[in-house]
Amino acid sequence: MSNCSLKVAVICSSNMNRSMEAHAFLSKKGFNVKSYGTGDKVKLPGNAPDRPNVYDFGTTYDEIYNDLSSKDRQYYTQNGLLHMLDRNRRIKLKPERFQTSNEKFDILITCEERVYDQVIECMELKLSQNNEAVHLINIDIQDNHEDATVGSFLICELVQLLAKSGDLDNDIDELLHEFESKFDKTVLHTVLFY
Amino acid sequence: MDPRIHRRTEPERSYSDTVVEWLNEASISNDDAVKVENLSKVQEIIINQEPLLLDNYLEEVLQFALDRNAKVRQSIAGLIEEAAEKQPEVIPKILNVLLRLISDEAPIVSKRALRAGSKILRATLKWIASESVVTTEMENAWMLISNLKIQVINMIDSDNDGIRTQALKFLEGVVLLQTYADPDAPKKPDDFSLEEVPLTLKITRRRKLEEEANHVMDLMLKFFGSLHVSSVNLITCMGSLALIAKNRPQFMPNIVQAIQKLQSNLPPTLSDSQVTSVQKQLKITLLGLLKHPASIEYAQTIAKQLTSLGCKDSEINKNYPQKEEIRKVKKRQQEKQESLAAAKKARIEPQILSMETDEAMLDESKMPQLVELSENFIAERLSVEIATDLVMDSMAWVPDTMTKIFHNEYQPTSTTDITRQRQVVAKLLASQIKQARSRKMKSDSKEDKTELMEDLIKNPSISVAEVKSQRKLAKDREKEQQAKMALETHEKSLAKARSRLKSLKLSEVTKPMAKEARDKMLLMAVNRILATEKSVILGGVANVRIKILTTLAATFNPYVKEAIINHITEDIRSRIELAFSWLYEEYALLQGFQRRTILCSMTPEAPHQAYNYLLITLVTSIQNVYGKDRDSLLSRVYLEAPLITEDAVEALKTISSDETRGLAPLHLLKELVIRRPTKQLVFLNVLLCHTGHENSTIRENAIKLVVELNAYPELAKMIGEYAVLYLGFLSNPNPPEIVFGSDRGRPNLEETWSESTTRACLGLYLALLSEHQSLIHELSRVYSSMTAEVKRIVLRLVEGPVKNLGMASPQLLELVETCPKGAETLITRIIHILTEKATPSAELVARVRELYQTRVSDVRFLIPVLNGLTKKEVISALPKLIKLNPIVVKEVFNRLLGTHNNDSGVPHTSPVTPAELLIALHTIDPSKAELKTIIKATSLCFAEKQIFTQEIVAVVMQQLMDMNPLPTLLMRTVIQSLTLYPRLSGFVMNILQRLILKQVWKFPKVWEGFVKCCERTQPQSFSVILQLPPPQLSEALKMSPNLKAPLIAHVDSIAENQRAHIPQSIMDVIKGKPQITMHDEFDIAPPGDFPNERVETADTDNLEPAPPGLD
Repeated sequence: MSNCSLKVAVICSSNMNRSMEAHAFLSKKGFNVKSYGTGDKVKLPGNAPDRPNVYDFGTTYDEIYNDLSSKDRQYYTQNGLLHMLDRNRRIKLKPERFQTSNEKFDILITCEERVYDQVIECMELKLSQNNEAVHLINIDIQDNHEDATVGSFLICELVQLLAKSGDLDNDIDELLHEFESKFDKTVLHTVLFY
Repeated sequence: MDPRIHRRTEPERSYSDTVVEWLNEASISNDDAVKVENLSKVQEIIINQEPLLLDNYLEEVLQFALDRNAKVRQSIAGLIEEAAEKQPEVIPKILNVLLRLISDEAPIVSKRALRAGSKILRATLKWIASESVVTTEMENAWMLISNLKIQVINMIDSDNDGIRTQALKFLEGVVLLQTYADPDAPKKPDDFSLEEVPLTLKITRRRKLEEEANHVMDLMLKFFGSLHVSSVNLITCMGSLALIAKNRPQFMPNIVQAIQKLQSNLPPTLSDSQVTSVQKQLKITLLGLLKHPASIEYAQTIAKQLTSLGCKDSEINKNYPQKEEIRKVKKRQQEKQESLAAAKKARIEPQILSMETDEAMLDESKMPQLVELSENFIAERLSVEIATDLVMDSMAWVPDTMTKIFHNEYQPTSTTDITRQRQVVAKLLASQIKQARSRKMKSDSKEDKTELMEDLIKNPSISVAEVKSQRKLAKDREKEQQAKMALETHEKSLAKARSRLKSLKLSEVTKPMAKEARDKMLLMAVNRILATEKSVILGGVANVRIKILTTLAATFNPYVKEAIINHITEDIRSRIELAFSWLYEEYALLQGFQRRTILCSMTPEAPHQAYNYLLITLVTSIQNVYGKDRDSLLSRVYLEAPLITEDAVEALKTISSDETRGLAPLHLLKELVIRRPTKQLVFLNVLLCHTGHENSTIRENAIKLVVELNAYPELAKMIGEYAVLYLGFLSNPNPPEIVFGSDRGRPNLEETWSESTTRACLGLYLALLSEHQSLIHELSRVYSSMTAEVKRIVLRLVEGPVKNLGMASPQLLELVETCPKGAETLITRIIHILTEKATPSAELVARVRELYQTRVSDVRFLIPVLNGLTKKEVISALPKLIKLNPIVVKEVFNRLLGTHNNDSGVPHTSPVTPAELLIALHTIDPSKAELKTIIKATSLCFAEKQIFTQEIVAVVMQQLMDMNPLPTLLMRTVIQSLTLYPRLSGFVMNILQRLILKQVWKFPKVWEGFVKCCERTQPQSFSVILQLPPPQLSEALKMSPNLKAPLIAHVDSIAENQRAHIPQSIMDVIKGKPQITMHDEFDIAPPGDFPNERVETADTDNLEPAPPGLD
């Protein structure tokens, strides 16, 4: 199976950091990948813990970039947010919310358990029509730049591993086990249906 | 020509061409991508753009289902799915393709086809349900669909995880399709359920479909509960079940239960992270179920489960059903209960029920969905078919005579316009329905509504009043039917619950290994466990090891058993605990305390045999142990084993009869008799058997042990009977077979009794005698019929026991008194034995005397008790006694004279003194005894020089002298005494002189003796001779001519003055006429003979007396 025939979605909370990092990395590797967030709003840290920057999902990366840059350019440059947003706007226009997407994938990868739960909830609400199976896998990644980078490597490793399989449905248990033991990570895995 | 068709001619042609073009390209091309792309383009056109083309090109398209490329086949599956959904008429054509694709070897094709199958099934059912006429085509299609279902059901056991997943989803679809939707829930737009299937459908009945769905449901639950299920399947299945539970609440109880079960019993094959995933899914599923109104009854259980999954209370509460909903549900339940009560009522009238149920069912099936029934609605749908149906159906309800109300109200239609007429009818129907509904508002039960409508549809022409009355009837029916349904569902759920309890069988889900390999690995595993003997002790789990080995040994195949047995026997000293553990396990299996596990693949041999084999093996291997442990191990095995089998008894019998084994086994036998009450008699029997053993050590010890056991009252009877039985054998002419055989140490049968066999039969009996004196009578009873040889042995053997009894034994005395016929010799022998070393007791004497006097006048009885008799009795018996065999006579005298037991130190007491005895002998009446016998007897007396001393002899002679008439043997005794004691010559002279005074010549015999004596005692006797009167002198000289010369010489030699004293007559006789010499014809043997005879008797003195009976 070639890299592009497997449709992958990487999902985090705000479709900003972790999912985008992985999106970028997987794209570079030639995978057919999309990224989503499951949160109600796009949330970014503000200059104080109790004052985050919150945007609707429709807001483009560019708009957010400009907004932050106008608020405190130096601060947001220093904490890497602007750099991140800059990368993001080069990949796609704006953050996408998973719940509103109608696209079908072969693999969904979430970056934390809460997101994983939300994906399941969303999929159950949609009710399956075609019984097309999709594998939902969660790899816990801390929401910071360093971990996001490391996490994207892990996700890439995993996707590469899965892409090698000729019959994913049958092999996935073993492949995940292989992955888990290789990287000493625990993943959650379930099957959902479109 | 129809203008519409004409209009479409143009694009059709172009589409048609394009399709042909694409199909050709696809079939020619080698590029799979091209094929797939072209096919999808064709699909778009023939299904969506120009559906009429589908029929034309379907055949060609379906050819691609055989394409080599999996992707192409996969796309065909997608194509037929869409085709079936859009144009159900093609279904019969595509089903075969579908079936083939589902079983395709490529998983992706198979999975895609399964997905398609799910939709096609639904489409088919919808199609069949919607068509009014059922064609053969449909029937065939439905048959294929049934095949499809069966095929898919089998696929949940597929090797491929993904295929299983899809098969599960298919089954989920089957369940959802073929069951009734929740009547309380709002109808979902896409939900097709059994209600949509008309009951009139001939191909398939609702009930059949529902049954099938229930069966599928059971399968899913079973799959869900199986232990081998993979994580993905488990999650899928859980999702499916949850979906079913939410949409078909009737399954809620079973599903909640299944999930509950799973939670506490997750498949062991899952990895840690999979367990986490599954638990997470469980949590989500449970929360989802909790939210659903149908789960209210289980809300608490579910909440509890969620808590145990680590769910926060707040989260649970958020999903906990609202109070309002709970109330609603409660209300519904109440209604249900009412209907149940109705069911009870209905049971009282079972006939009505059975008659009307079918009808009612039929009615219900006709219920159309008439929720938004209105005039227009009706008018729209009042097709010819429906109208026909309505009329046909209501014909049956039309009363025979026209009702008044109808007559009054009915207005014939005045118009010919069909649409108007339609409107009128629709109006009529609608108004009736509305009326009925408003009246029925109070009870908003759905059934009532539909029922009303149903009636109205049926009888559009009759009045509301009649409808009412009919409805009332129908309502009763409905109630009954409801009740029946409730009962049925109850039963069904029970049946379901039962079938679900079936547990997973490992054999169903695993592929068997080759038997050899399996056995080999099994054995290797066992050997490894066996090799851990030392390390388990260090690890402190020796008991666990024993337990494992025990179970293995008891349940697995013979090789395993053998390995473990070998292990035990290698060092039975230290492995005896394991052996016992195993033994008990076998016993538990044998007794059924423990169920044999299913792991036991071999055909179970008789459990008894397994136990027995093990026990015997243990015993045998203990035999090979050397050293002091052997006996203790053996007794442990026998005393602690839960059950001693017959073979084990035999083994012990053999062991115990081996002398080299020592006495321990015999003692073990005795212990077993005491300590194993259930097998008491068996062991006793073995021990008894040994009492007749050839080997004396075994025999004696066995007898000793049996005698010890005899102290137990419950055993005594059996032992006694055994002893008597064997005693009885002795009366047979030949020894019985039973005493022969290797177990008795006599392998060869013998024809005649030998000492050994006699001992075998008698040993125990004699040993018991001292305890059971009464048994002695048995012996005397048997004795008479014994052969001579046996009698001899018996007489010899009886000595010891009789001695032990002693003469004080009342039984013995009784025996003596009641001496049975033929047992005289025995009795005599007994009396002999009793009196051999002791003087007979007065009692014994009395018994013997009694016997002698009243029953058996055999004098020999008296001999042993002679010393106890009175002097008179002795003397009166004397004539008979001396007639006996000289040896016996000697014995008699010994007894009387006390010469026999002088060495015992017991002072001898005799009723007669030696002198009296001798005198008695002399005074025996010659008519009672021959002289010769008496002479012999007296000779015996004289032989006892110590007793018959010079003095006693003198006294005897003195007393005999005084008797009148003189005893015949007087002179013989005198001569004899003189021979023995020459110093008595003076005394004898004195006697001779006194005899002259007694005119001895008057007693011829004594006179002869007198002369003889004188002859012997010359020259002292000359003075006596000279005192004889002349005639007697002359006679004497005549009798003894030899005397004459010495006498003359004597007379000549004596002094003249003395010679003067001799009367002349005497002198004349001496010197005068010579006497005629006579031949000596004495009866009396020359005394020189006697010493010889005495020597002979002395020789026989030490011998045992011969049995009197043989004399």
